[in-house]
Amino acid sequence: MELQGKISLKTRRSYRRGRAYLLPIFVGLVYLILYSPIIVLIVFSFNKNPLSFKWYGFTFDWYKQLFSSVEILDALKNSLIVAFSSVFLCITMALFYVFYGVSSFLNRLMVIFYGSLVAPEIVLAVCLLSIFTFFSIPLGLTTLIVGHTLIGLAYVVPIIKSSFLEMDYGLVEASMDLGATESQTFYKIVIPILSPAIISAALLVLIVSLDDFLISFFCAGASVLTLPMYIFSEIRSGATPVVNALSTLLLVVSSFLILILTAFKLRTRVF
Amino acid sequence: MREIKLKNIKKIFNGEIVLDGLNLTIPKGEFFALLGPSGSGKTTLLRLIAGFEKADAGSIFLGNQDITSLPINERRVNTVFQNYALFPHFNVFDNVAYSLKIKKVKKDIIEQKVINVLKKVHLERHIYKEIHQLSGGQQQRVALARAVINEPDVLLLDEPLAALDLKLREKMLVELIDLQEVLKTTFVYVTHDQFEALTVADRMAIMNSEGEIEQVGTPKEIYEFPQSSFVARFVGSTNLIKGVLRSEDNKSSIEIPDLGSFEAMLPKKREWACNGCSVLMSVRPEKIEISKKKLEGFSNCLEGTVDSIVYHGRSTQYHVALKNGSMIHVFEQNEEHFPQEVIDYDDNVFMYWQKENVVLLEK
Amino acid sequence: MKKNKFESEGSKEHSFAVALPAVLWQILFLYLPLFFLIYISFVKTLDYAVLKNLTLQNYKTLIDFSYFKIISRSVALAFFNSLFCLILAYPIAYFLALRVKRLKNLFIFLLVLPFWTNFLVQAYAWFFILDNNGILNKFLLKVGIISSPLHILNTPLAIYIVMLFCYLPFMVLPIYSSMTKIDKYLLEASSDLGATSWQTLGHVTLPLSLSGIRNGFFLVLIPSFGEFVIPILLGGGKVMYVGSMISYFFLETKNVFLGAAFTCFSGFILILIALIVYILFRKLGK
Repeated sequence: MELQGKISLKTRRSYRRGRAYLLPIFVGLVYLILYSPIIVLIVFSFNKNPLSFKWYGFTFDWYKQLFSSVEILDALKNSLIVAFSSVFLCITMALFYVFYGVSSFLNRLMVIFYGSLVAPEIVLAVCLLSIFTFFSIPLGLTTLIVGHTLIGLAYVVPIIKSSFLEMDYGLVEASMDLGATESQTFYKIVIPILSPAIISAALLVLIVSLDDFLISFFCAGASVLTLPMYIFSEIRSGATPVVNALSTLLLVVSSFLILILTAFKLRTRVF
Repeated sequence: MREIKLKNIKKIFNGEIVLDGLNLTIPKGEFFALLGPSGSGKTTLLRLIAGFEKADAGSIFLGNQDITSLPINERRVNTVFQNYALFPHFNVFDNVAYSLKIKKVKKDIIEQKVINVLKKVHLERHIYKEIHQLSGGQQQRVALARAVINEPDVLLLDEPLAALDLKLREKMLVELIDLQEVLKTTFVYVTHDQFEALTVADRMAIMNSEGEIEQVGTPKEIYEFPQSSFVARFVGSTNLIKGVLRSEDNKSSIEIPDLGSFEAMLPKKREWACNGCSVLMSVRPEKIEISKKKLEGFSNCLEGTVDSIVYHGRSTQYHVALKNGSMIHVFEQNEEHFPQEVIDYDDNVFMYWQKENVVLLEK
Repeated sequence: MKKNKFESEGSKEHSFAVALPAVLWQILFLYLPLFFLIYISFVKTLDYAVLKNLTLQNYKTLIDFSYFKIISRSVALAFFNSLFCLILAYPIAYFLALRVKRLKNLFIFLLVLPFWTNFLVQAYAWFFILDNNGILNKFLLKVGIISSPLHILNTPLAIYIVMLFCYLPFMVLPIYSSMTKIDKYLLEASSDLGATSWQTLGHVTLPLSLSGIRNGFFLVLIPSFGEFVIPILLGGGKVMYVGSMISYFFLETKNVFLGAAFTCFSGFILILIALIVYILFRKLGK
């Protein structure tokens, strides 16, 4: 009986040892498949003829064309205007809400900010479009900013709120005790101490706004194009080679921003 | 410098009445201690004075000024927080200069004042250090400097030494006393540690767990003449024995069942002290002389058996069991290396005290 | 320490007013429009006789087989995408949470990175893989598994594949998070009591990660239903899903009323589906 047990244990062990590599291989494969499209895209953006899948040679041509394309630069300008405006609006409104609303019932209304996260983005886009149409608000940069700020708030308010709750409230009391008014306390004490959270939230909204397609597609109207919108229309009308370069660039910039965000978060947690 | 008057203060937290009809006057220029157990409402009282809490009823006066509804930043009252609440993003200088910057004082005056006040707390060599570079004791002193630079009418200290170790605490207590004497600001010091309170206070108030003020007086008054058993037990320790007061002519005595009659002196406030009333006799353990021999010259004597002996180095504490089963504890200072009399377990001993050292309490 | 009120009377009104914009923004641009959308789904013109005009005409128009096909197509997409994501994500989450010792955060970061770097570009990049002349076909042809290129692009298969990999992080993260919260000692105890890895997985890990599975499932289900970009780009645009249908109503025919009705109806179906899934999960939990 004992011998039998020992033998079966041995075979089971070697069986398991082979089996043990199955999971890591599987996961590795998934990661590979996940990244393969992106890697191929990046590689092909340097292809002399990116419309074909054959490799024709290395070139920077498409990138050069990028920077001279008026359309693209215009779309970039729009994306940046909308993104930075949304960041500013989101951060300001969120800060005021979190700090000045702490003593009123507004505090308990936190839930309403999760609405934009729960609903599918297309519903949000369509709702906004309906309202704009009904009130005859011309579609353009303003409506874009409105929409982006809306989705941005859902990210920013929870981040700043939780950071505020973690802060030692005694610091606010100490400031007032030493003679500062509410506003002075807000600007001199609260904002500096919350600055890591503020920067994280700002970066997040920046990324979300720059990447956003759906809200932009519905709320930008006929005359305004953002970068993702431009890419979309180009893809649908049969991609030009420049789109590959643009996509790659967008990829790199977004990744860079995320890297900063992550590094920043890791750093500030050490303190 | 103005005195603080609290009139009929009522404060409710979550439906619980923490303070009810509280009255207190804190004279100006004193080092005043608020002593009480945790949950007695002493911190609440402090926060009411500072303005962090609003009273549900009653009023607070600073001199002639009604500050009950005055916002925090307009009161000439400053607080030293228990956890210091130093601004982490400012260095020592900026922390201390904060209140002056708010008032838009001129730069050179600020610099002068900051250096001055930091000298007073012995931190002049750490002016530009970051907060996290300082030790606990140093941080505490920055918090002090920051609160004091304003020359407030009142400085509130909420258990400021709680986070420090024993040796540091003792050192800081002395520094605080010195500082108060130099500044002559009214210090209101909240603590649950009677040793701290007795050490620093010119006068103190004892609060009980129901948020009531039991007694106000100098440390000596409170220690030697407690007005309730709570105070007698909370500040120091005491022996409390229940008995019946017998008062004829000028002589008073306490009758204790099984133990006999003991001489006493009538308390200052005599309204409640009637013949035949039930009273508590309070005798502090250090006021009792313990001996195996019969001694002369004491007004009172009790006999008992030594139950336990605890050696404290400077003193020895004896627990003595009486005939009726209750315990008396006695402190004897160890005055000699080789005491003339050695008291051991189960020894039959006599305990003596003078009638002047007895305090009679109603409850 | 409790958060306290600021004492002065005057600043209370000032405080309130300054804190209001964020809340107003949400109400004005999310909740009000939502009600507005529901409202216009019941009218045919934007006149000012508010309540008299209510009609079910829009919804009656929607009772058509072609619309049901579209909605059921999206329901299937949402449900099956969530299912496939789950099947793929669970082992990954398990691996990251319980098998990886160091560099956990790096793996998570790498997993999430493609998602954050623009959905659109990610979807577009799949063209290069799935095209008739794309990398996948080239590879399969070279290895000899197939003799002629697979026509994947512009078919539902392409949509499902891309959806799967685009939504993967949404499923992995909640499951991963719930798994890291499992007390390691429970797993050790299970082994100690004689269970094999698979038994521990089924009896201990799975039940304890159920909340993560449920969260991930919903995180994929809801957006997948309304997904617009991927079906259009990779499906060829000839086949309609809820997302593209809504876009068609609002942007091409400009019939906001029918569009609103369709959106509300689809939303209603989505809520129903979500409820069913929720109940299923409750039953599973017992």
